[in-house]
Amino acid sequence: MNADEARESLAFSEYARKRAREDMGRPWLALVLLASLSVVSLSLTDAATSPTGLFWAFVGPVGAGAIALYAYRRNRASGIDSSPLAYVAITVGLLILSYTAGKIGFAFQIPAVARFGPAFVAAAGYFALAWIERSWTVAAIAFSLLAITVAIIGFDLSPQQSKALVFGLYGITLLAVGFSLRLGRRQLL
Amino acid sequence: MTHPSSALDDTIHQRVRLGILAVLSESRRADFAYLKDVLEVTAGNLSQHLAILEEAGHIQIAKAFEDKRSRTWVTVTRRGRAALASEVATMRALLDGLGSGQRP
Repeated sequence: MNADEARESLAFSEYARKRAREDMGRPWLALVLLASLSVVSLSLTDAATSPTGLFWAFVGPVGAGAIALYAYRRNRASGIDSSPLAYVAITVGLLILSYTAGKIGFAFQIPAVARFGPAFVAAAGYFALAWIERSWTVAAIAFSLLAITVAIIGFDLSPQQSKALVFGLYGITLLAVGFSLRLGRRQLL
Repeated sequence: MTHPSSALDDTIHQRVRLGILAVLSESRRADFAYLKDVLEVTAGNLSQHLAILEEAGHIQIAKAFEDKRSRTWVTVTRRGRAALASEVATMRALLDGLGSGQRP
């Protein structure tokens, strides 16, 4: 094997590696993370027994479960199967950290930590996921969440305005990831 | 003193076989049809490469009957992962050597 062949082989193996990553449809993991963290963030800003809190406590896990099931079936049909264990661990870890951040804020009477702690933890989680996945999309989500949280603090927005902004970002992200899943499915079919 | 290229593994020192291990190292398992599509090879060609890798202990092949059709799932072994990492590192080192003007 000469140098050109070696370079070509390395490039081909890199292409195969990237194609496998894309085809495994890992965006669903970001969705699971997103759905779970939405529940935590919203339940921390609302009273747990309020209608909104109860709604998200039910819809979040059910939605996340449905997305996970869809992704599992899609992976099997496409012929490449990934292990979700690492991502489940990341999700559970972030849930605990996010919940703890909010609780610490409440316990020590630090409103800023109680309000923004979960969002900062979520953003940090997305940055970690972006690094693992080498995904600019996930990095953009993390950056947007961080930017919005900083803007809320900087402009001293009311809790209602803050919630509307963060909730809007979640909605846009869900739509964007859902759209990318649909595009990916079309390519598979 | 041995030549650096002696560290290359003849079993996987081939474009398609490197590709197979690269796909499998990213996933838990992949099926025959998927590998054939990604690597753009014929079924016969892929079968030959898989047989070589399986004989060397780099992959495991399992046949299953799912949704009324036969599927062949391929998994990389720990030995296969290590071999791929070593091969890629050796090739990169050799190419770096060439780039810096050394004779590999």
